[in-house]
Amino acid sequence: MRAMYLANYFVAGCIAFSLLGWVASLHPMAFQAVLCLLAAIACAWGLSWLLDFSLSKLLKISVADLQALLISGLAMLLIGLGVFLCS
Amino acid sequence: MQLKLFVLSASSVALWLVPLNMLDKKLDIHKAVQGVSLCAAIACAVSAGNIARELSEQGEIEAIKERAITADVIDEISTSAYISQQQRQQEAEALLNPVEHLERALALTYDEGERSEPIAQKQLAEREQNCSENGDSERTERIHQLQAHGWGKAKIILEIWGVTKGGSPKYKAAEAEYKRLMQEEGG
Repeated sequence: MRAMYLANYFVAGCIAFSLLGWVASLHPMAFQAVLCLLAAIACAWGLSWLLDFSLSKLLKISVADLQALLISGLAMLLIGLGVFLCS
Repeated sequence: MQLKLFVLSASSVALWLVPLNMLDKKLDIHKAVQGVSLCAAIACAVSAGNIARELSEQGEIEAIKERAITADVIDEISTSAYISQQQRQQEAEALLNPVEHLERALALTYDEGERSEPIAQKQLAEREQNCSENGDSERTERIHQLQAHGWGKAKIILEIWGVTKGGSPKYKAAEAEYKRLMQEEGG
């Protein structure tokens, strides 16, 4: 059951990134805004990966859990945007 | 609850993939439907995740309860086994060394006060009397066994009291004891 709820949250994340792509497709300004948002997300992701030990102490989770979160976030982004662009 | 979970999960995936693939992105109405369906898909996925998390937590609580019950049962069994072992050991000690047990009780009784001294002495005297009676009965039984084997009086006295036939005071005492036991048995 734990795998089930993790999978559902993962699917929710993927759909959220698809929705982000859909928003980007509405207007060129929205596209620019989504690009800025994705750039900010990429910067935050890279910083989190570099500062994993400090961040894990700050969030009070293990480094392995933080790295799993970061990797799953990247997978959600790739899957969500991939599904939207390929459809 | 699980049926709702599976329905929500399946509908979230369907609402995510079907409108994106089936509807045309160039038509405004289709784009609107895609956006609505994506929002609905997110809502379904989050609801399904919450339900699954609740079920998972309930399962963990049930597992903890089962482990606690099992640990309680194991603890109870081991405690009862330990107590019964202690009881058996105490009973064995009481059987093997009754005199020492009585002496300990006597010492405790002395510690408690002078009033209990006659009671303890009486207990000790009774115990010694019982012991001597037990010794007499054992000797009598042994004498009968040796007589059944055809042994004579001198040989029996040598076997039981360890003194050889003669005019020694030890032999005379042993002979008197032998006679007393035989008379008691006969009377």
